[in-house]
Amino acid sequence: MLPAAREPAAGDSWGIIACLCTVLWHLPAVPALNRTGDPGPGPSIQKTYDLTRYLEHQLRTLAGTYLNYLGPPFNEPDFNPPRLGAETLPRATVNLEVWRSLNDKLRLTQNYEAYSHLLCHLRGLNRQAAAAELRRSLAHFCTSLQGLLGSIAGVMAALGYPLPQPLPGAEPAWAPGPAHSDFLQKMDDFWLLKELQTWLWRSAKDFNRLKKKMQPPAAAVTLHLEAHGF
Amino acid sequence: MAPLAALQATFLSALLFLGTDCGKALSEPSQLAPESLKVSINTSQQSLHVQWTVHGLAYDEELNMVFQIQISRMTTFNVIWVENYSTTVAWKQVLHWRWDSELPLECTTHFVRLRGMVVEEAGTPGPRPWSNWTSWEEVDAQKSLGPDWLFVFPEEKLVEEGSNVTICYVSRSHENNVSCSLESAPILGEQLSPNVSVITLNNVSFIRKTGTNFFCQMEQTHTVKGSVLFVSKVLEEPKGLSCETRDFKTLTCTWDPGTDTDLPNYRSQHYMLFEAFSGENKSCEHKDSCVWQVAPGSQETYNFTLVAENFFRKRSVNIAFDLAHRVRPMDPFSMSLKSVSATGATVTWKVHPVRDHFTHLCQVELHGEGKVIQHNVSVEKDGQRPFSELEPAMEYTARARCAAAEHFWKWSGWTGQDFRTLAAAPSEAPDVWRDVKSVLGSCNVTLFWKPLSKSHAHGEILFYNVAVESLHGPSGSKLFSIPAPAGGTEVALDGCSHRILVTANNSVGSSPAAMIVISGDPADKEAEEERVEPTEQGFSVSWKPPLEDVVGYVVDWCDRPEDAPCGLQWRRLGPNSTSAVIRSGAFRPGVRYHFRIYGISPQRRAFLLGKKTGYAQEEVPSDLPQVLVHNLTSHSFTLSWKDYATDSQPGFIRGYRVYLKSQAEQCQPEFQKTVLPDRSVGCQYEINDPEQKTLVMGDLQPESSYEFAVVPYTGAGEGALDAFTKVTMPDERSHVLIRIILPMVAGLVVIAILCYLKSRWMKEMCYPDIPDPYKSSVLSLLKPKEAAPLTIMSVNDCVPDALEVVKKPEGSKTPFPGARKAAPDTARIRPDYIYLLPTESSSGPCICFENLTYDQAAPNSGSCAHVLGPHEVPPSQLGLPTSAESLLKPLEQNYVNTPAEAPAGETTLNYVSQLASPVSGDKDLLPAKPPEPEPELCCEYRMQMALPLGLASPSLNESSNSSPTALLGQEYHG
Repeated sequence: MLPAAREPAAGDSWGIIACLCTVLWHLPAVPALNRTGDPGPGPSIQKTYDLTRYLEHQLRTLAGTYLNYLGPPFNEPDFNPPRLGAETLPRATVNLEVWRSLNDKLRLTQNYEAYSHLLCHLRGLNRQAAAAELRRSLAHFCTSLQGLLGSIAGVMAALGYPLPQPLPGAEPAWAPGPAHSDFLQKMDDFWLLKELQTWLWRSAKDFNRLKKKMQPPAAAVTLHLEAHGF
Repeated sequence: MAPLAALQATFLSALLFLGTDCGKALSEPSQLAPESLKVSINTSQQSLHVQWTVHGLAYDEELNMVFQIQISRMTTFNVIWVENYSTTVAWKQVLHWRWDSELPLECTTHFVRLRGMVVEEAGTPGPRPWSNWTSWEEVDAQKSLGPDWLFVFPEEKLVEEGSNVTICYVSRSHENNVSCSLESAPILGEQLSPNVSVITLNNVSFIRKTGTNFFCQMEQTHTVKGSVLFVSKVLEEPKGLSCETRDFKTLTCTWDPGTDTDLPNYRSQHYMLFEAFSGENKSCEHKDSCVWQVAPGSQETYNFTLVAENFFRKRSVNIAFDLAHRVRPMDPFSMSLKSVSATGATVTWKVHPVRDHFTHLCQVELHGEGKVIQHNVSVEKDGQRPFSELEPAMEYTARARCAAAEHFWKWSGWTGQDFRTLAAAPSEAPDVWRDVKSVLGSCNVTLFWKPLSKSHAHGEILFYNVAVESLHGPSGSKLFSIPAPAGGTEVALDGCSHRILVTANNSVGSSPAAMIVISGDPADKEAEEERVEPTEQGFSVSWKPPLEDVVGYVVDWCDRPEDAPCGLQWRRLGPNSTSAVIRSGAFRPGVRYHFRIYGISPQRRAFLLGKKTGYAQEEVPSDLPQVLVHNLTSHSFTLSWKDYATDSQPGFIRGYRVYLKSQAEQCQPEFQKTVLPDRSVGCQYEINDPEQKTLVMGDLQPESSYEFAVVPYTGAGEGALDAFTKVTMPDERSHVLIRIILPMVAGLVVIAILCYLKSRWMKEMCYPDIPDPYKSSVLSLLKPKEAAPLTIMSVNDCVPDALEVVKKPEGSKTPFPGARKAAPDTARIRPDYIYLLPTESSSGPCICFENLTYDQAAPNSGSCAHVLGPHEVPPSQLGLPTSAESLLKPLEQNYVNTPAEAPAGETTLNYVSQLASPVSGDKDLLPAKPPEPEPELCCEYRMQMALPLGLASPSLNESSNSSPTALLGQEYHG
């Protein structure tokens, strides 16, 4: 639109406004903005981003309930124990430079693998929960997380990336694990929810970045506008 | 605590040491000594498992031995536990003993040793000595701990609520920088050794099923370690154990288990049932019930013990009973109804067979319209019970339950069946009331009736019959059928004396008739309305019993007095009543209700006894009166609000409060000073009479401004004091001026009106167009010396200065002998007649010149008609000419034709001179005696005008042709 606004004489603000109005008027007719063909991965990335934000919100409530169920100190806001027995959980925290250096495929693959593991652990959590209401909430969240996993798979397919193949023997499956003490088990549960929260936060950033990247470049619009004689 | 325990342990060790030495001194070393001592730790149970063997036993020898076991903590000198364990020992038998440690075994090192002694038996000689102690066996769980910096023990523990728990933590750090918390509360420990601290939790309580969290943090390493205490509630004794059978095949025992002591990871609460006579037992599937199979025909008496058990406790209760005394039969079935009529029905049902010769006691109930009919029936197999005196067309519910007749234990559940009795004719007449409006001898009667209750309708009412019979007219009745569910109808009666019968009808028959007699008695309208105050119960209406006989009273009112229809309600009362409390859910605050009290004569005629009116709750007035200001003077004015309707207010108007505000803030003598809602100070005057709607405000200051407001009040208070009206008092002088100016202005107005009304008279008097010679002052000037009548101007003194003679074509009619030509203008139309007429107005002998050609009918009706005849009267005087313009103008418009318009043969015009001779005023005398000319007679001018001859009547022309001419000539020449 800038070339169109450049034509009127300098200082002629009325002319600029008129030109802008004309441009806006003709926007629906701009072919670059009026594509009726394949929408590309944009919408599915947006949906995945929205789902991530929704899950973030949902987890906030669920985690509060579950940590209260575990009791103090797990439900205390400043409780930050070392990560002891939760080594099997995929870590969401990563160095910023490393994160920036990731390409789209790697980003999506890490997301997919992380949620596959987290979902598996979350189902184990659900099996242990004694309160019926809590089990219902956990089951609902697991279903939503399964949806996110499918959504990520859809984005990867739209971008032509293959889904990561699980290594033989490394199939994420929940097992009661070693004879953990109850306190350590509670620590694991705490870390599972915390890691899940961090992953959802990271994913929101990942998909937001991907969404911006997949948007059509503004130069194409300018080109088409110029072709229309603005 | 710790030094005391150490001292105690030391003393115990010293004692044992002395004992050992003494033993050695007294006897030889025993061959039966414990050996192969092994100690292991069960961390989950926090117990030491000790096992050993006894050396020296023969192959088939079995001995009763006692073993003394010592346990030391931290050092071998710190003996904390000594216990004698008695058992039977066989050859090569491995003996086991368990010790539960209160302190977690991982917290410190433990040492164990023991010795044995053969127990003395009957017939064996002397006491046997203790064997030697085994060497101390050390148990150190800390050796197996991992490389962590911090450990908390036990890692988890199940305890009962109220017990004490000991927890320790092991720190590998040299700095004492470990802090511990129970849930969120920091807790301090007691140092057991440099690296071990012990925390004892007393009387732990249940917090949650996921356990109570205890945790410790090490600051440097940020290590967090903890344990979870699962606190179980105390197991309760089962309450209310009860067993019963329904079929002699199974016994069901139920109880209240009390608090659930199970935890998600520790489920141990369970129940067992033991039967003493049979020796059988059963593990119960539920925590509150158990089913026991009854062996057929074998056992009649049972003695049950219910045992409740969990990790910590065992509780039991006992119950013994005879099976036949614990029979609760199954619920009855196949309930049905037979022979259902309008007033009766028979209920039948079946019972489940229990065993031979078992008799049921069954209870049968019939529920209907809030009533319950109950009967007990003994039943072996099929039950049956007839019910009578039921209400027709009524819904009933029959139900039955049974129990053991011989040994009553408990009722079975109910089994029920609904049914409806058949319909019957309505049993009561409908309650009918009326509203009568008489119009010109006829009556419009609106009938109202209340629906019959279900107990009286005996079925669905289909229609109402209304029969109207005249009391005085010819016999016969009119019948109207009103379909239900109408609650009334309107009937127009020819004459008011009628009897009305109303019956309600259902599918079976008709109800008795309700009768109402309508009479056109005007006495109803004479009763005055009295006020009635509401009470909490409603309106309490009372009346005086009338002199006449009454069979009852009716009080009626409208629920919605403002609406149409107003929702007429009525209430019937007995003949002995003199009051009634009227209550209705429809009564609303602020609505005036009117109650009419009627007496009902034996002939069923209703006559009005009184009227009452009242409010369920008075409200403050909703409208304020429109106040007018009258009689405004410099010191007072009058307020008036006569148009204010007191009857249409939401409360009885009790009076008015008049508020007055002025800048002076001084109140008049009858006013009280008060603070107004706007917090200003004003004056208040209260009028207690609601009908007093005027008030004179006196003693006011001239040229001052006052603001007033009139606010009515009811029993609920006064209306809203919204706005004041401002009045400015006039100046006192202006009042005086008004007193002067107003009469003056009024006088001037009267004068002006008089002048207007008498304008002609005034004009004639003051400035006539043609002065009247009789009234003219000229005469007095001319003849100042003459005596009365001064106003008469002698004809002889007047010399006509001109005489215009019109030439008339018809010579026979208009001969003008001696006529003098007056003007050269021959084209001008000239008059051809001159009449000399006596004036009517003057009583004296007057003569007038009058041009009568304006109307040929005039001689017959005009004022001068009568003097047409005496045209011979000679003129003696000439009157002064008067203006005739005003009269001529309309006449010219109507009657005067132009010469061109006149017919050719009739173009001649009459002439009338402006001078006339005075003639006698007596018209009656004129024909008989023509008046003589008299010089003193008045001379009057009459208007002149010309008309075409054709418009004049022939007779008039004929009769007046010659004489005037002659007279004129005579006069002219004379």
